[in-house]
Amino acid sequence: MLAFAARRLLVSLGLVWVVASLVFLVIHLIPGDPAELLLSQGGIAPDPAAVEELRERLGLNLPLWTQYVTYMTGLLRGDFGLSLQDEHPIGEEIALRLPRTLELVGAAGVISLIVGVPLGVAAALRAGGTLDRVLSACAGLALSIPVFVVGTLAVLVLAQELRLVSAGGYVPFARDPGRHLALLLMPACTIVVGLGAVVFRVMRSSVLEVLERDHVRAAQARGAAPGAIIRRHVVRNALTPVVTVVALHLGSLLGGTVLVEFVFNWPGLSGYLVRSVEARDYPEVMGIVLVISSLFVLLNFLVDLLYAVIDPRVRHG
Amino acid sequence: MGPSATRRAVLAGAAASAMLPFLRADRARAATPGELTFGLSSFPPSIQPWANTGTAAATIKLMIYRGLTSYAEDGSLRGELAESWQRAGATGWEFKLRDVRFQNGEKVTSADVKWTIEQIAAERSTAYFRAEMQKVERVETPDDRTVRIIMREPVATLPVWMASYHLPIISRNSPRGTFVGAGPFTLKAQERGVSLELEAFPGFHRQGFPKLRRIRAVAYQDENLRVAALRSGDVDLIEYVPWQSMDAIAADQNLKLDTVDGAFMFLVFNGGRPPFNDARVRRAVAHAVKREELVRAAFFGRGSPLMQLPVAESSPYYNAEFKDGWRYDPDLSKRLLAEAGHANGISCSLLSTAQYGMHKDTAEVVQQHLAAVGIRAELNLPDWATRVQIGNRGQYDLAVMGTAADSNDPDGIANFIDGSLAPSYVRSHGLKIDRITELLAAGRAEFDEEKRRDIYRQMERVAIEEAPIAGLTWRSQGYAMRRQVTGFRNMPGALTFYSGLTFETAEIA
Repeated sequence: MLAFAARRLLVSLGLVWVVASLVFLVIHLIPGDPAELLLSQGGIAPDPAAVEELRERLGLNLPLWTQYVTYMTGLLRGDFGLSLQDEHPIGEEIALRLPRTLELVGAAGVISLIVGVPLGVAAALRAGGTLDRVLSACAGLALSIPVFVVGTLAVLVLAQELRLVSAGGYVPFARDPGRHLALLLMPACTIVVGLGAVVFRVMRSSVLEVLERDHVRAAQARGAAPGAIIRRHVVRNALTPVVTVVALHLGSLLGGTVLVEFVFNWPGLSGYLVRSVEARDYPEVMGIVLVISSLFVLLNFLVDLLYAVIDPRVRHG
Repeated sequence: MGPSATRRAVLAGAAASAMLPFLRADRARAATPGELTFGLSSFPPSIQPWANTGTAAATIKLMIYRGLTSYAEDGSLRGELAESWQRAGATGWEFKLRDVRFQNGEKVTSADVKWTIEQIAAERSTAYFRAEMQKVERVETPDDRTVRIIMREPVATLPVWMASYHLPIISRNSPRGTFVGAGPFTLKAQERGVSLELEAFPGFHRQGFPKLRRIRAVAYQDENLRVAALRSGDVDLIEYVPWQSMDAIAADQNLKLDTVDGAFMFLVFNGGRPPFNDARVRRAVAHAVKREELVRAAFFGRGSPLMQLPVAESSPYYNAEFKDGWRYDPDLSKRLLAEAGHANGISCSLLSTAQYGMHKDTAEVVQQHLAAVGIRAELNLPDWATRVQIGNRGQYDLAVMGTAADSNDPDGIANFIDGSLAPSYVRSHGLKIDRITELLAAGRAEFDEEKRRDIYRQMERVAIEEAPIAGLTWRSQGYAMRRQVTGFRNMPGALTFYSGLTFETAEIA
């Protein structure tokens, strides 16, 4: 088992290195000079001498491989470097913003399960009935509306017209827990519209499938109470694919909440990544992408380990 | 199943009811007397005092720092840290300083002014005014309150330069890496990418100002969210009001809209190669665009046609006789093209950016109008960073630009029309028109008002003929605020981005 874990760990570390190198190359290959851009804000012509000075100070005039070695050496020390824009430590900024994105994604996941699972069960139990048709139609609609449309509509109706909630923003939990949660609710619910619909659909079809299984029929033949059959034999078994799907979606949401963060001014990691790309802040882009991809690799590594524990054949395969 | 469904409904209803007061408690956070929440268009990448890092940064800099001079609400030059100034010899200016203090409690002295100029002009400086300050021959400090700036050549516009938000005076005793200014507010805290907290500086030199106790500047990069934040009461004041929202804000009883035609859109040319190295072809472009349609399509009618050089009508140097200099005249465009040997039209690239709607929309309208006179322009709409690089390297034929001048003085547009300056995306590439460079230099060196006006009149006449750029539209630059906010003003013309100066007089009931 230990050898298996070590092998998987090595592969995972290799993957992280490949990702770091690819991101380094790609961000340096796309056009746009960060020094030029930094001094060109507001549509004003930068002094070429000042641009050259800045490039030298930021180390952008060094050969690409020198920059690559410097960057990788820094990473090995756990140092993501400094922002090109204001020399702010990138590691600190990621540490500040990653939990916010995780919180947003986590909250969306939990609400999606709370909403999607019971509705999926209810629809499956009344398959073909009015409730099922209505809920399925709603889920189809929810899946077809882009997240920025949902977000913008929520801001327009709930914040601008009804003035029930803030239009967006962020307040740390420690400063004002109530306001923090209130500000979290709208962006989280915006993600829930799509994610909850996915959960609903998967849960519905999973329940329908489980209902046909022999153990459920056997329980019914034994005369078990319908409620108990649903809770113990159907829902628990039907949840497995739902958890898999939600986990996959949450993973992709780590870097995919850009639009939601933008629409609601939620200062998470995705918005940070977009602004870094716009400013061609190379170290920031590399740091953020590396963290997101490392999380993916880590998740995969843990899943591999879990498979190996569950099924010993994997270790020897 | 019936009772179960009812129980579920009751529980859901109870949960929803419990959430309502929780949600309600969140609304209307702004409008605390003495404390103003300001919706910024972006978070300043840096508030280094002498670097140009955008207009959002400039607004924050105007809260924290002050220069020797600044602008009054009507746009006229006024003393700031300097109470008066006069010429000193053929190439110098002498400034008399007020008895004022920096935010660290130290007096503002002539030594601080000298130190500031030295920092800006230093070899490794990235200051916006580095080239200008390198033209300073020496700085004399006969006493603490007198500073004499001697230039290598006469510069009539030095007091105007000193009013720039890129040229504030900083205490020479600022701790390393920080910059202590003498503005009306001090920066107390900031959360990078989110917000900045500013507090009134009680030692500000204008007695009784600033009126506000505190400003919280929150970045709302999405323009629609910025408007929603204002309308929902999250913020008291916003900048960069999107044009499509201006009518709705103006009609809202609870809000005020303050707009000026300050910034402008224009076309720049690649003058280093055919066909735009020919003035006739450049003029053909300038006469081909119907500006009124552009104002309607790209700015929702919020702006006005610009058919001459972008000098504000409120400026004493505005030349009314050239106001139709590049009027819409497609027949003339076709004639000019034919004269230049392009009777069958030309094909070219038109660079803009998809990142900003106003740039993209402008390019699309211009493309249509050019097509009508036989200029087939192919759009290139990369992101802003790429557009800047392509522009700086001259890898385009025609390009859309939008910005504001440095000041309402005509020297403030030198950046856009002086081809002798280093290549830049803000001006035409490889297009050096000697007469314009000479007249700009003459205007800069001339101290007599009437003679200066005459010089700039001559310069504009040359510009209309040579078309170093093609003006397109003035665009409304707007601030919107709640009715309770008073004392904040949108500064006139090119000074719109100096409106942050009026935070010192702003109040909130």
